[in-house]
Amino acid sequence: MSNSNHNAGADILLDIRGLKTYFHLDEGTVRAVDGVDFTVPRGTTIGIVGESGCGKSVTAFSILQLVEKPGRIEEGSIVLNTGGQNRVDIAALDHDSEELRQIRGKDIGMIFQEPMTSLSMMYTVGFQMTEAIRLHMDVEKDEARDRAIEMLQAVGIPRPEQRFDAYPFELSGGMRQRVMIAMALSCDPMLLIADEPTTALDVTTQAQILELMQQLQEEFGMAIMLITHDLGVVAEMCSEVVVMYLGEVVEQADVDTIFHNPQHPYTQALLESIPRLGHSHEGRLNPILGSVPDPYHRPSGCPFHPRCTQIITGRCETVHPEISRLDPRHTVRCLLHEDPHG
Amino acid sequence: MADTATPSAPAAGKEPLLRVEDLRKYFPIRQGFFGRSVTQVRAVDGVTFDVFPGETMAVVGESGCGKTTAGRCLVRAFEPTGGSILYRNRDGDEVALDTLDNKSLKPVRRELRMIFQDPFSSLNPRMTVMDIIGDPLRVHSIASGSELEDRVADMLLRVGLRPEYMRRYPHAFSGGQRQRIGIAKALILSPQLVVADEAVSALDVSVQAQILNLLQDLQAEFDLTYVFIAHDLSVVEYIANRVSVMYVGKMVETAATDELYHNPKHPYTEALLSAVPRPDPRERSQRIVLEGDVPDPAHPPSGCYFHPRCRYAQDMCATETPELRPIGEGHEVACHLAEDLDLRGITDLVPRD
Repeated sequence: MSNSNHNAGADILLDIRGLKTYFHLDEGTVRAVDGVDFTVPRGTTIGIVGESGCGKSVTAFSILQLVEKPGRIEEGSIVLNTGGQNRVDIAALDHDSEELRQIRGKDIGMIFQEPMTSLSMMYTVGFQMTEAIRLHMDVEKDEARDRAIEMLQAVGIPRPEQRFDAYPFELSGGMRQRVMIAMALSCDPMLLIADEPTTALDVTTQAQILELMQQLQEEFGMAIMLITHDLGVVAEMCSEVVVMYLGEVVEQADVDTIFHNPQHPYTQALLESIPRLGHSHEGRLNPILGSVPDPYHRPSGCPFHPRCTQIITGRCETVHPEISRLDPRHTVRCLLHEDPHG
Repeated sequence: MADTATPSAPAAGKEPLLRVEDLRKYFPIRQGFFGRSVTQVRAVDGVTFDVFPGETMAVVGESGCGKTTAGRCLVRAFEPTGGSILYRNRDGDEVALDTLDNKSLKPVRRELRMIFQDPFSSLNPRMTVMDIIGDPLRVHSIASGSELEDRVADMLLRVGLRPEYMRRYPHAFSGGQRQRIGIAKALILSPQLVVADEAVSALDVSVQAQILNLLQDLQAEFDLTYVFIAHDLSVVEYIANRVSVMYVGKMVETAATDELYHNPKHPYTEALLSAVPRPDPRERSQRIVLEGDVPDPAHPPSGCYFHPRCRYAQDMCATETPELRPIGEGHEVACHLAEDLDLRGITDLVPRD
């Protein structure tokens, strides 16, 4: 699972640069994703964390160009390196194109918080899975069926031959989540985007699903992009973490640095605000002041400044901080760490 | 600000404020043209616990375990099917909540309030904040006109909202602010007991901490007793003095928070504690991954409901239903094997370095 010292560039699966996704509404423009850069190394798990409204889900939807109107990718590139010199900029593709359809579901699979987002009530599990498999792989019906049952088995569904003919509503929440994962992985994607995959589940079911995702990663070697607000899940699962606030990446580092040496005041505050098992006697919780501002009234300067306890008065309100690189794998967007050479 | 985060367990010898004994709530499943009741969902099936004045008693469990149904029976939003709920009112008289008629229930309802999970659907979008919070005062004919307004304004200040916001509608507030409104509404009648059902689950982590601190401050300020229904064990450890764990309608373990977390006696409690993801990559725990799903309460397994998923189960577990029994100072457990098992608490689950 450890992925230290990977060579930059060579094993980068997905490279996102300057991504901007805006929603043009009557009330104004919501800059849901406002200049996001990060990379997903091959075969690792990267966590995208932040509170509601930070743009983590819109980032994920942008990667598959699934952002619905009035949302639109305004700028930026999302380069998928499918191997060798095979690079394709997803952001430049037409959202309806055949090429993009091949990427969705084949190279990149996606699972959601609510399994019924990607499953239809009207068709059996087997029908939906074989349809997806035959769309992306050149196989006969029987072969697709075998593949589907094999995947259902792989995600730990008991009696997969029988569940193949079940309708989603006949399954429990945890089972549906497994079916969705089986479906997302049935075409052997290189990247699995998981948007709050366990948020709606109970802790014991969550433990099952997290364990399953780790197992499947070892088995199939795909990269996982895990979008969540749960710092516990991030600490357990990820090797690298991207922290987002109001549409921007405020800090990115390996998981140990994020949890033990965070540099952005928001990351620090977020970690201090959560109750931790076994630490309840260490006094009161330290909440972050105020709440996430509404998207129409984005603060000027650094978007976190109204809630920041380390604000540099006179600067943070006006200057929008650039990204500073503290070490090769650790970047932070904060004036406290302004790059003197920048 | 620097008060004790977790007040110590209630002084021994105190009379309980609430005594719940063998509480049951069954929902009929109706089928066919005449709506004949074919079977029952035993949502709450024999729940027993006491709540002492001034404490926070948490009820935890996974979805479908009956914790919300139990909470709603306490405030009589549901009519219990069986068992008894004895409540000691302000005058010191013990009243049987489960049998009171609506008329005699009304004065008790002033002392027993509820906070709900979803700050978005539990507030009427067509009422102003003043109407929402002031409504209980009007219903119980306690205040009206400018007095009502003053009391609402005062309450808003105490929950950390500006009184100027009184004329606004719920949509103008964020999730955390709405939860503050819900809390203000629950507290405006100066209750004794507040049942908080997943009161912080729908909130962002940073806001969750604000609300947890607020609930603690208000508890100290107004001498409140909480029944805190939740699924998040980290939150519960932070706020509760005692914890009861429920599984498929039954209580499987009750103990003081520290005792339960460090010295669990029920295998389900052990598994729950191990499943909580720790926000520290150096504490990646060894999860105990339970097989299968929570059983359907309409068709629960035989014997101990947990036995099909229990890694310690023996033959007797499949046939005999364990009763909740004392196993130590203030510690009760419903497991045949409790004495013989050496279960792991939260400290043992974390590899120490």
